[in-house]
Amino acid sequence: MLGNDIVDLDLAKIQSNWRRKNYLNKIFTAEEQLMIVSASNPDEMVWLLWSMKESAYKIYNRKTGIRNFAPKSLSCTLSSNADRIKGTVSINNDIYFTQSEMRPSYLHTIATPIYHQLAEIRINIYQSPENLFDYKSTKPGCVSHHGRYLALVY
Amino acid sequence: MNKEEIIDTLKTIIELYSEEATALAHIDENTDFIHDLKINSANLVDIVLDIEEKFNIEIDNDSMAKMLTVKATTEIIAQKLDAHAG
Repeated sequence: MLGNDIVDLDLAKIQSNWRRKNYLNKIFTAEEQLMIVSASNPDEMVWLLWSMKESAYKIYNRKTGIRNFAPKSLSCTLSSNADRIKGTVSINNDIYFTQSEMRPSYLHTIATPIYHQLAEIRINIYQSPENLFDYKSTKPGCVSHHGRYLALVY
Repeated sequence: MNKEEIIDTLKTIIELYSEEATALAHIDENTDFIHDLKINSANLVDIVLDIEEKFNIEIDNDSMAKMLTVKATTEIIAQKLDAHAG
């Protein structure tokens, strides 16, 4: 099972004010909040952690059938020892591995329960998907849509 | 505050975060924030914070977890208001 999440960073900037009082505390664990306040680019860190949680939740939701809004129950770790941003997201007894790609205008994260699958996931990202082909017929493993971007993973 | 009044106030909050005019015009108990109103999940937090401010209540994480529909959200607000009054 695969999960993915794309964030249109320009849209996120105007759509969400994460500096609002109590906002971070509703979504992020204490450790994650520390990662955000100590990051060189806190905006990027907020949306990176958010997209990790979203992509992992998409797998968890399909696997368990549980649908809820409990972002704090998903807990992220990040490894920063490479040019690729890798991390883990834990929820209850499940663990998901993530890999994220940070671009100037978007951020995309993929998630899988099996670490070695990260290298095998095929990613297609489309901009301005108003003239969209019938992407569902390509049977993507997961779909994410935000602002100008559509991301499909296989 | 009765259920209708809660839903009316809730509508004024939800409107800020959805562009689905038709779905907004037909909000009822079964309306789903994400499926029907296409609300961005990061904005669900804003809705929860707006509810806390507008109704002067505190939404704990377990309650927030259920707040994906108008029905569940209205029930939680009613509960919290009751607890407040008692």
